[in-house]
This record gives sequence, C-alpha cells and structure tokens, in this order.
Amino acid sequence: MVKFFESTFSYDYQWPAVTLAYFLRYPNPYSTHVVSTDTLDMHIDPISGNLHITRLHLKRGKLPKTVARFIPKIKESYILEKSVVDTRHQTLSTETRNLDWNGVLSVVENQVYTPDPSAKSTSAATHWAPGSVFTSPAATLVKTVVKFESKLGAARRERTEERRGWLGNWTAGMGGVRGTIELVGKSSMKDGIQRSREGMKIVLEQLRERGLVRIVKEQRQGGWERWKKVWRGEGQGVDGGEMI
Amino acid sequence: MSASLAPECSERKERYDTCFINWYSEKYLRGHTEPSKECEALFKDYKICLNKALKEKGIYNMIEEARKNSPNNEGQPPGSSCEPSC
Repeated sequence: MVKFFESTFSYDYQWPAVTLAYFLRYPNPYSTHVVSTDTLDMHIDPISGNLHITRLHLKRGKLPKTVARFIPKIKESYILEKSVVDTRHQTLSTETRNLDWNGVLSVVENQVYTPDPSAKSTSAATHWAPGSVFTSPAATLVKTVVKFESKLGAARRERTEERRGWLGNWTAGMGGVRGTIELVGKSSMKDGIQRSREGMKIVLEQLRERGLVRIVKEQRQGGWERWKKVWRGEGQGVDGGEMI
Repeated sequence: MSASLAPECSERKERYDTCFINWYSEKYLRGHTEPSKECEALFKDYKICLNKALKEKGIYNMIEEARKNSPNNEGQPPGSSCEPSC
C-alpha cells in the first residue's frame, strides 16, 4: 500500500541562503533526534555544473507506540539523503529515505526548492551577498512530497493466497495492522515536516543575524544547547522527536 | 556542524565540512562551479576514515546497494541513472 503526502511552504529568504541552510540544518533545536551526519559523496557534473551531494544521517528516537508494538527493536535508523544543486535554474532537489527496516516501512521524501515567483524582487540591502550573480526573489518555495509505503503483511498475504478461504480473517487482521502503521506514520510525518521547517527557520535566522562563520563555530562548539539560550523560548518541548 | 557517525573521523569531517561550506557559499553559489582542490583533498582524507568505520559497523554494503537504486526509478537497470563518476 502506497500513500502520498504533499505540502508546500515558502521561506522568507532568498534561494541561495535557503540552500546553504539546508546543508547546515543540523544541529538545530528541533533536530535532537539526529545523531550524526556524514557526507558519502560530493561531485560536480562537468557538463551541467550541478552539484551532487550524498549524505548519511543517523536518526534516533521513539517510535510511535502503535508501531513499536510490532517492531519493538528499532531504536535508530539510517537515512540516505541525495541532493542536487542547479544554480543555473536555481533549483535544489533533495531525496531522503530510510535505509534499514524498509522491508516494513519505506518513507521517501522528495523536496524541490525554487525561488518563490510570488515574492517581490529583493532590494540591494537584503540581497543575498555582495558580488552574487543571482537576483532571487526574497522568498523560496519548497514543495515536499512524501511517498509512504508499509510492507508488513503484504508478503505473508501472498504466501497464504491459496489458503485465503480459512485464513481470511487472519489476513484481514494483518491488513489492519498495516493500516494502523500507515495512519500513525502519516500524522508523525506531518509533525516531522513542521519540526524540520522550524529547524530550517532557526538556521536561516542565525545565518542572517550572526553570519556563516559564527554559526559554524557555535554549531561545532556547543551544538543546539547554546542556540537554545540565544533563542530563549524557542525549541522548548521539541525533544524526543520521532524517527518517521 | 553535525557530528560524525564515527567519533574517530570527527576531526577530519570538521575540516572538510568547514572547507565545503566556505567553498559553497563563497564560490559555488556565486557561479564558480570549479571544484575546490583543497576540499577534495580533505574529503578524500575524511572518506578513508568514514568508509573504514562503515565497514566495521557492517553497514557499508547496505549503503552502497541503496545508493545504486533510487526509489524513483525502480525497474531501470542498476547504474542507468548514474553520474559519470560512479
């Protein structure tokens, strides 16, 4: 069973700044469940000039209770992230998906970041950076599509196909479990998207207020704990993010 | 900057990440698409450490396999969507 979840959002920042924040988004006060981020590959397509980056995230967190009943041993998950930056067309395309336990539940998130055409063009004062070749609108649109698929029960159902007659109830039961997992996954996915937006916003604000050099230094030295002090009141009650 | 999966690679990762993000914001986003020799060297160094750690954790093959297959072009022969470098 496959389900899709779609949403669109606009950040009040220029496209180059949003792409920078994307690569710098961890750690932030909303990403306490992200344990680590490593770069697996980075190359530039010699023809298009597009930048391709593959990263591996390790996320830890509580599974929703309903799901944990069926797959209780899962405490962390590896996430593969592929992104392509196309500066000529000002497009950042990303794809993230879970690597392990995807026999049970596969979540693939695709995002496309483009300048928001409905936003006004920027004045010199708010321009991304002096010397930049880009004239971006002052806002960036991000379209998110999540493909969500639970596979629990599907394989077993196939195997017992010929015995459907007297195993019908049992099969229906497995279908119910699948439905529950998908339902829980969908609601926590919505929360997850909201949290990741809040995290991006904090990184963007920090970039604007404090500049790249200080951000990188502070992320390195104190992680998000120090950020929380800067943004008093921000980031409260966001601990224990769910993995999905 | 986020931590590395392998603590022993953290220093190398930090050096590479810093190099990358500076190159990305100062050069790449300003239209200079040539790779940075300095960052490439740092990446090579970091990657040696990381690959060793991924193998030790027994997840290297799982990752390599997953990287070859994109969920959006299932059904295509493996490698058909690959860049020249892979």
